[in-house]
Amino acid sequence: MKAFQRGMLVAAIAVLVSVVVRVRGKGRVPPTSGGWRELQGPDFR
Amino acid sequence: MSTVLVVGLGEVGVRAARQLIDTPGIDRVIVAARRLEHAREVAGALTDGAEPCRLGRDDPFPAGVDAIVSAVPGNADPELARRAVAAGISYASCGDRDATLRALLALDADARSHGTRVVVGCGLAPGLSDVLAQHAVGAIDAVDELHVARWGVAGPESASEARRAQREPAREWRDGALVHDKHRHAQLIWFPDPVGARECELVDTGVELLVAAHPGAGRITSRLGVPIVRRFTPPGRRDPGDAWGAVRVEVWGWRGTARASVVYGVIERTAVAAGTVLGVTGAVLAGALPTVAAPVTPGAAGLRAAVDPVALLAELARRGVKAAAFEGVAVA
Repeated sequence: MKAFQRGMLVAAIAVLVSVVVRVRGKGRVPPTSGGWRELQGPDFR
Repeated sequence: MSTVLVVGLGEVGVRAARQLIDTPGIDRVIVAARRLEHAREVAGALTDGAEPCRLGRDDPFPAGVDAIVSAVPGNADPELARRAVAAGISYASCGDRDATLRALLALDADARSHGTRVVVGCGLAPGLSDVLAQHAVGAIDAVDELHVARWGVAGPESASEARRAQREPAREWRDGALVHDKHRHAQLIWFPDPVGARECELVDTGVELLVAAHPGAGRITSRLGVPIVRRFTPPGRRDPGDAWGAVRVEVWGWRGTARASVVYGVIERTAVAAGTVLGVTGAVLAGALPTVAAPVTPGAAGLRAAVDPVALLAELARRGVKAAAFEGVAVA
């Protein structure tokens, strides 16, 4: 019973951490698909 | 009256001469080779106005030359540059061997004292890649990583230089030091089509120029891919990307508090792209393209320091060498 409670506690903490990281995280998934667009305009961007 | 001397009449040199002839403000283009017959052949092929000239190791430069554009093999480049600086003539080179780049940059003090400029790495990479890197860095607040990759060679001499670069120990800039990775391996790099995905090996080529330009970056790498030369290819199995050259510049960093990346690429026949960059640089040094020139003092430096990136990209686009941006979509 005690081991089960510990497991539940660990799982709850893991969920909590993942929620915080998911909400506060600024990192984006690197671009993995897309296409090439010719640079144009006065700034050539 | 602006006069430019083109030395080294291989694949790149001939195309640089073509670009110079087509530049308003360049009045004379002299093409020089060790054998006068070769120079005459090239001048004849260019049809409209190039003058042939024999230029041996000890021959003086023709009178009235404002700039020298060099596409000679790497080992001949430093000596020619030394002679140009001593004669008070500005010099642009497309050599990409690391020892050559170092030897040319070492002429900085001499160039300053003679009031001339030596611009090194005026090809595809180093060269256009450095300008694209500068342009990409300008779109990001703080740069973490800068990765440059090139695919393709301009001709036999360029292919031999590229293979030499792949054999030599490669270094990358990591956390403030140039480190040698013993376990380097080829990495798949995506270039614009039709080149597409190609395996490129880590090389030393141009890393020091990039580090000098972006010392704050945490990681800088340079990669190079060389097409495999096959004696026989079955009909229909020819790889269309083998004939092309491409460069890809990828910059990672921060825009505000968000992680961001900028990826620029160029695709063109390697000799055409390198020759165009070299020719335009020669025109800049001769004073024919004042809008492209950066306000620099005499000395030796990379291409990035000699030109305004946006103006150079616009000038290259006008001549058919067009850069593109990768617009990615995050797929989780």
